[in-house]
Amino acid sequence: MPADTVINGKRNADPIAVRPALARRFGKMPANLSLSIGIALVAIPCLAAILAPLLTGSDPLALGADILRPPGAAHPMGTDDLGRDVFARVLYGGRISLMVGLFSALIAVSVGTLIGTIAGYFGGRTDEVLMRVTEIFQIVPRFLLAIVVVALLGGGQLKIILIIGLLSWPGTARIIRSQLLVLRGEEFVLAATMSGASPARIITRHILPNVVPFMIVSGSLQTAAGVLVESYLSFLGLGDPSHPSWGLLLQQAQLYLQQAWWMSAFPGLSLSITILGLNLTGDGLASRLGARSVSR
Amino acid sequence: MRGHLGLLVLRRLALGVPLVLIVVVLTFTLIRLAPGDPALMLAGDSPTPEFLAQIRAEYGLDQPIPVQLLTYLNKALHGDLGRSIFFGRPVSELILQSFPVTLLLTSVVMVFASLIGILLGVVAGDRRDSATDTTIGVASLIGFSIPTFWLGQMLVLLFAVSLDWLPAGGLSSSRNDYVGFDHVLDVARHLVLPVTTLTLFELAMIARFTRTAMIEALGKDYVTVAFAKGASRTRVLFRHGLPNAMVTTVTVIGLEFGVLLAGAVVTEIIFGLPGLGRLFFDAILRRDFPLLTGCFIFASTAVILVNIATDLVVAWLDPRVGR
Repeated sequence: MPADTVINGKRNADPIAVRPALARRFGKMPANLSLSIGIALVAIPCLAAILAPLLTGSDPLALGADILRPPGAAHPMGTDDLGRDVFARVLYGGRISLMVGLFSALIAVSVGTLIGTIAGYFGGRTDEVLMRVTEIFQIVPRFLLAIVVVALLGGGQLKIILIIGLLSWPGTARIIRSQLLVLRGEEFVLAATMSGASPARIITRHILPNVVPFMIVSGSLQTAAGVLVESYLSFLGLGDPSHPSWGLLLQQAQLYLQQAWWMSAFPGLSLSITILGLNLTGDGLASRLGARSVSR
Repeated sequence: MRGHLGLLVLRRLALGVPLVLIVVVLTFTLIRLAPGDPALMLAGDSPTPEFLAQIRAEYGLDQPIPVQLLTYLNKALHGDLGRSIFFGRPVSELILQSFPVTLLLTSVVMVFASLIGILLGVVAGDRRDSATDTTIGVASLIGFSIPTFWLGQMLVLLFAVSLDWLPAGGLSSSRNDYVGFDHVLDVARHLVLPVTTLTLFELAMIARFTRTAMIEALGKDYVTVAFAKGASRTRVLFRHGLPNAMVTTVTVIGLEFGVLLAGAVVTEIIFGLPGLGRLFFDAILRRDFPLLTGCFIFASTAVILVNIATDLVVAWLDPRVGR
């Protein structure tokens, strides 16, 4: 995915120039602020998706006689080419987009953590082989590969989640591996090794609890990536038509762009807010962790 | 120095060739994994039995799988990516015909995005933690959070539909027959919106990475020394800081090339540009699998080549790398 995030944790690395005190105090958006804004932004689409039935009485799939109606009292976001309520479609579409993002991130983070942990803990030949595989996955264009895989193997929500998840783990694997390289030399790990604990026990009891924060950062960024990739697939007509996501709404909007701006504006805005919120959350968390480099 | 680079070119190519092989094997595996008869998949929706038999013989589908794989590899590596079902022409021919449009689009985007992105990254890195830095940071975060295709749609709505300043799509005006410089201007006018769409995303990425790399470079001793010598700020930034930060920037540009190509796919669809993305989309719509897999192999090879090229640029910028 795009948007690798690099945060410099070092505070006093700047030898040049004395900044005006005011700019220093108010200029930099503190990690806490970007985290709060991020969470707030993510909360909007999440709550809207969960509370969809309470927020609208309209059925997202129900056809109506009022076609291509601009936003108004009856339809706050207008209607589409088949008279369906765009507001209801955005709310319910969010459920699909967020679910695909969340579950694909879950898969990506699990696989990435597993591979990163094995590579980092055991090192040597194992590490070399696993990192080669990771590199190959990073160089082959993932977006295009996802398109080809879905086109050849068929869509369906579950398959799309699996495909996105299984193509997105390399970033997480690299972060976790670099953490493992640090942790492996820590005294408490050495102590556990000395006391004869098995690798499985050392990893699950002593190492994994220390990489959980990095898994969360990675999860937040991977969810953003998952939502984005799903929207690309749907936009290209490879989504699951029985589960209309934001990407699918935007695909339909493309045909009526000149007549009905609302069909594109609202689903796209929801998509952008969600992705921005998740990126801000990931960024904010990463700077709180003082992560030198966090990438997907 | 020259010998060093020559060796590096060979070494990178030696890594790139197996990668291309992996891509082809992967594509073959996917075709085999796909439900249904691969001959049907290669022949399209309703082939005649004779055509099916011909495909089976041509691809050796009656042979054992390892032999099939070798046949497929052999064909692909000789540039034979099969025949498009929909267009009824060799896939390689179709790709070569549409690739120049994509190449034009992506290279113009890369030039603009690199120039502006690096400049913003340098400014943000220099004035770290200032209001300028925060503004650039927030703007670039927004820049790469907005999905390319939606940004494209919004730009069309604003500049083509509402304001009617620029054409909404196509590569040139169909009603006019411009020649010479007028034709160039006409194409340029058509490229403004698609280039802007893609540039905003790339630019955000480049600015972010350059900023981080600049901050790191400016913290080094040689920068302190340069300041102590009395070098001007501009000179320190662009002579001592940037060349070191560029290693990161160039690496990112290379790694993101695949994403840029994917972005070009949706951008070409929105703006009706007859490039590789359009071909990709046609292949998806018509379930034209030879065309789809052909485009994928071609695009992946391009990405691998760009990665090799960026590795070389990095080695040229920083001779410590790859020795």
